Amino acid sequence: MNEQTSPNPPSNPKEVVASMTRMRRIFYVLPVIALAIPFVANEYLQFMANAILVYSLVTVGFNVVIGNLGQLAFANTAFFGLGAYTTAILMVYAGMPYMLAVVAAAVVGGLGGFLASVTALRGIRLYYLAIITLAFGELMRWTYLHADGITHGSDGLLMPQPSFFGIAMENETVKFYVFLLITVVLIKATSNLMRSRFGRAIVAIRDNEAATASLGIHTARYIILAFVWSGAVVGVAGAMFAALTERVFPESFSLTEVIVHFAMVLVGGTGSIIGSVLGAITLTALPEYFRQFPGMEELFFGIVIVCVLLFLPKGLVSLLRRVSPVFNERYYRD
Amino acid sequence: MDPLLKLEGLSVHFSGLKALTNVSFDAYAGEVRAIIGPNGAGKTTLFNAISGYSQPTAGAIYFKGEAIHGLTPHDISIKGVRRTFQNGGLFPELTALENILAGLHTQIIGGFFGVILGSRAAREAEREGIARARSLLDLMDLEFLADQEVKDLSGGQQRMVEIVRTLATEPPLLLLDEPFVGLSPPMRTRMMEIIRKLAGEEGIGILLVEHAIDLVMSSSDVIVVLSSGEKIAEGKPEQVRENREVLEAYLGYA
Repeated sequence: MNEQTSPNPPSNPKEVVASMTRMRRIFYVLPVIALAIPFVANEYLQFMANAILVYSLVTVGFNVVIGNLGQLAFANTAFFGLGAYTTAILMVYAGMPYMLAVVAAAVVGGLGGFLASVTALRGIRLYYLAIITLAFGELMRWTYLHADGITHGSDGLLMPQPSFFGIAMENETVKFYVFLLITVVLIKATSNLMRSRFGRAIVAIRDNEAATASLGIHTARYIILAFVWSGAVVGVAGAMFAALTERVFPESFSLTEVIVHFAMVLVGGTGSIIGSVLGAITLTALPEYFRQFPGMEELFFGIVIVCVLLFLPKGLVSLLRRVSPVFNERYYRD
Repeated sequence: MDPLLKLEGLSVHFSGLKALTNVSFDAYAGEVRAIIGPNGAGKTTLFNAISGYSQPTAGAIYFKGEAIHGLTPHDISIKGVRRTFQNGGLFPELTALENILAGLHTQIIGGFFGVILGSRAAREAEREGIARARSLLDLMDLEFLADQEVKDLSGGQQRMVEIVRTLATEPPLLLLDEPFVGLSPPMRTRMMEIIRKLAGEEGIGILLVEHAIDLVMSSSDVIVVLSSGEKIAEGKPEQVRENREVLEAYLGYA
């Protein structure tokens, strides 16, 4: 049977699995190495590292809808803003402790995700979904601006100093450790989710929705799950963003912001958690670096995005995949 | 013997277009039943109606005596009616193994929080699923393709993987939409053997839509002939071959 000859020589699957499991340990080493960052970074670099953690979660969450579910839904700034404002409002007006407000931000972000999923479930897809979700983001920004009795409009809402179980998050270093903990926990949870039958159902819907239903999979349920998970993760990123900037402004959640989020997903690699983190690092650090060329910053920023997308259409993560198959994230967990 | 699947006066009309009109037949376990007919006869519409992708305008569909018309595709699949798709129903970016795992979705236990927290039970269920998926691929000698993304497989290999995925949950009724298309002659023979074996040894009821008349004649127990949405004949291959109306409508003989 000539059609059964494989393009690659068959290898012993057990051996491959064992070596892959060993190599995956590097993902546990990375956060440990990150623990050392405050010892080598000055305050400015520390702020950048904190921002990278915030944007890592923003991108990881966004990628679930864009990359895994494959839906062009751009309500990400809505989730991000909902998370930030929920945190600030609950802390300012209800005196809620920061960590509890983070949980509330996840819930409200998840609710935002649910709202966005309703449009996709109604059969609104592609550019229609894109425009309606962009409108959702703008509607939220308009709300922050005009509900100035609560949000103080364009002046922004000043955050009380957050604390983590009694430890005051008074400087960038403390914030870093709290953010690192939250980020690592949520990235691990997202990775667990994507490598389960739930994650497989989500990518199956992206690849062939009708065939997914033919396997007894309740597709609507998984479309909702992807949106709610995305909204919750990005909502938590919003809560971290509020603590990072200490004042929450409507302008932080504008159309330009969602374009940056989208660029992070594309530059890193769609549907990849590692890619999401790479995209967040690259597009948070580069604009800072380009600041030394006043007037040319946006130009350089644009050139980087265009070059990556032209030469690495699958994102920066495809460079890593050439080095080792361990960066080839699969949708099962052995 | 009670029929596995019973169609009663099934009609599917799309805004004036009569895709199917008043089609009735019974299908049994362990039987290979072919649906043939010229293009536009309503073969795929019939499959879509049975599997819940098109809603019947009139008539009823019973599976194991239970009405399934009006149910969603995933509910019908859970009840034990599984299908393949004419243009390929695989997930191209997923590997063969992941495709089979998706087919096993309803049999892999593990709740949401167990999965998120990486609980022992959820991981064990997942490992069992993976072992099961590998053994299913092995059964068809496809184990060596397990870690290939299916978009890189040949057309024949893709058909095979799709059949394995459909069979993963051991459904009592299988709907195969043009299973022989794009297969080389030796692969066709192989596919025919597999279909005969599933019906004969496993007792699975098989409905198949096919254009290749020679393959249908030699591989099926019963043939249902559709033309312009209506059933014009039903019977054993040799009976259908002799039927004058069939020859006129389908084979074009006067």
